[in-house]
Amino acid sequence: MEEGRAERRRRTEALSHPQGGTRRAGVMTDVHRRFLQLLMTHGVLEEWDVRRLQKHCYRVHDRTGAVEELEDFINNINSVLESLYIEIKKGATEDDGRPVYALVNLATTSVSKMASDFAENELDLFRKALELIIDSDTGFASSTNILNLVDQLKGKKMRKKEAEQVLQKFVQNKWLIEKEGEFTLHSRAILEMEQYIRETYPDAVKICNICHSLLIQGQSCETCGIRMHLPCVAKYFQPSLEPRCPHCNDYWPHEIPEVFDPEKEREAGPSKVSKRSLRSRQH
Amino acid sequence: MLQKPESEALPILQAEGEKDGGRDGETQALTASQKEVPSPLLQETPKEDLGARREEGAAESALTPKGVRTLAAKALARRRAYRRLDRTVAELVQFLLVKDKKKSPITRSEMVKYVIGDLKDLFPEIIARAAEHLRYVFGFELKQFGRKHHTYILINKLKPLEEEEEEEEEDLGGDGPRLGLLIMILGLIYMKGNSARETQVWEMLRRLGVRPSKYHFLFGYPKRLVMEDFVQQRYLNYRQVPHTNPPECEFSWGPRSNLEISKMKVLGFVAKLHKKEPQHWPVQYREALADEADRARAKARAEASMRARARARASASERAGIGPW
Repeated sequence: MEEGRAERRRRTEALSHPQGGTRRAGVMTDVHRRFLQLLMTHGVLEEWDVRRLQKHCYRVHDRTGAVEELEDFINNINSVLESLYIEIKKGATEDDGRPVYALVNLATTSVSKMASDFAENELDLFRKALELIIDSDTGFASSTNILNLVDQLKGKKMRKKEAEQVLQKFVQNKWLIEKEGEFTLHSRAILEMEQYIRETYPDAVKICNICHSLLIQGQSCETCGIRMHLPCVAKYFQPSLEPRCPHCNDYWPHEIPEVFDPEKEREAGPSKVSKRSLRSRQH
Repeated sequence: MLQKPESEALPILQAEGEKDGGRDGETQALTASQKEVPSPLLQETPKEDLGARREEGAAESALTPKGVRTLAAKALARRRAYRRLDRTVAELVQFLLVKDKKKSPITRSEMVKYVIGDLKDLFPEIIARAAEHLRYVFGFELKQFGRKHHTYILINKLKPLEEEEEEEEEDLGGDGPRLGLLIMILGLIYMKGNSARETQVWEMLRRLGVRPSKYHFLFGYPKRLVMEDFVQQRYLNYRQVPHTNPPECEFSWGPRSNLEISKMKVLGFVAKLHKKEPQHWPVQYREALADEADRARAKARAEASMRARARARASASERAGIGPW
């Protein structure tokens, strides 16, 4: 009874406060609102773009204010977003660990951004590609294999030529990445769909042994089979001279990538030749 | 908390007949997870004020074990009802944001069909809360027009930008500067006779202060941008030049560049860069003129065939007897 009354009162209060939470929600100003609007427009942004975006929002709405530390700035906004079941999520690109940010739904049943941009048969094509990617060893699905499933699509009949264009549309909208005729998930898709993927494909899904997040591309131990993201491998093995599997202690047979550091000059990703051989060894 | 949608198809990617990607499955999936909970909103009259039910609970004696259990059950059911209400409000907010991106007004019936479902008697409260969230969190005003038709649009309440702020905003997300870099490369390729050696491209970029493997605050890793992104997006073609030893590679315009920009425009850009007129390079200028003529012809052909098709359709429908007479 008391609870009902108190709950009701809390609800009619300013909606910025999360229900029943003892943590005080942050305060939204136009700086934060413009930031959210622009982040929504772009879908996903790399960290350096996010910092520029933040500074831009301050310049427009609060020229004299001190620019808050990015992590606090985002946590502040997230505390307000909590009651809307969305959050600004930080992830990293699976190939070289560049930090990226996207606005994602916390509930998987919510209206999806993809669903509004694509037709029924296009969404089904994406689903087919997604399943192939998740089932694969390398995290990549070949264009040929995806296109061979064109006859099984729901909705209006789609020709292979058309399907090729649709796959390109997915690449342009940052849902898929293409490399040498093969497709994998863009970091945006991983950020937005991780929960959905884990719930829908609990048996096929791969998890990183270090960060315990969804894994699409990575390296695996040839002895015990555990998998790790490339940036997680880089961080975990950074100080060690002789890399060993964290699970079975066997020698780690793969090339250890470098930790992402925007200040340091380095080879921007492995060269084409070694990349191919790397991928065939990585599982 | 959410059940795995086994009977329901994949909620996000499910599309059932609707071009928009069928949200029926999505609201269904939500109700599926709530099925085990007898929500008072469904069982009792939904029009009842939620507070009134509280009064009803108070009347029962709380002291008997059965009374305590009943009260606890009611409180639990009420909490779940509130959660469901919150979730619906949150879904409506997201629905409105997504729909507004396409710049089409949203109708009340769409909202009920795709999001609100059987809570439609609570529509006024749900939409009021959604509007408050949109205003406070995102800076949008939910405006209703056409009272008869119950249509809504979102208006951006943030202050409009000055010109330089607008330019700055366009630069964000990387596209502006990246496309600038692309045009530099397209220009180089064009001026070198429609193909440029890889070494020449990196030489030019180095003169601009862009090193292939040095992380750049505007372009990220330039080598990845040029060799992977631009090639994958079909802006550039990259191939090995035959009979070269050691093997050399060259860039040429990709099919997307031909669609999105023209030789004349790129020549104009190069000319401006050198503070000269396009005619300063007669060979390239002639080639650009020929390209313009080709484009004009292709455009005229496309328009003519469209008109012919429209005429054929009109006469076919005439013959079929469709028309006002």
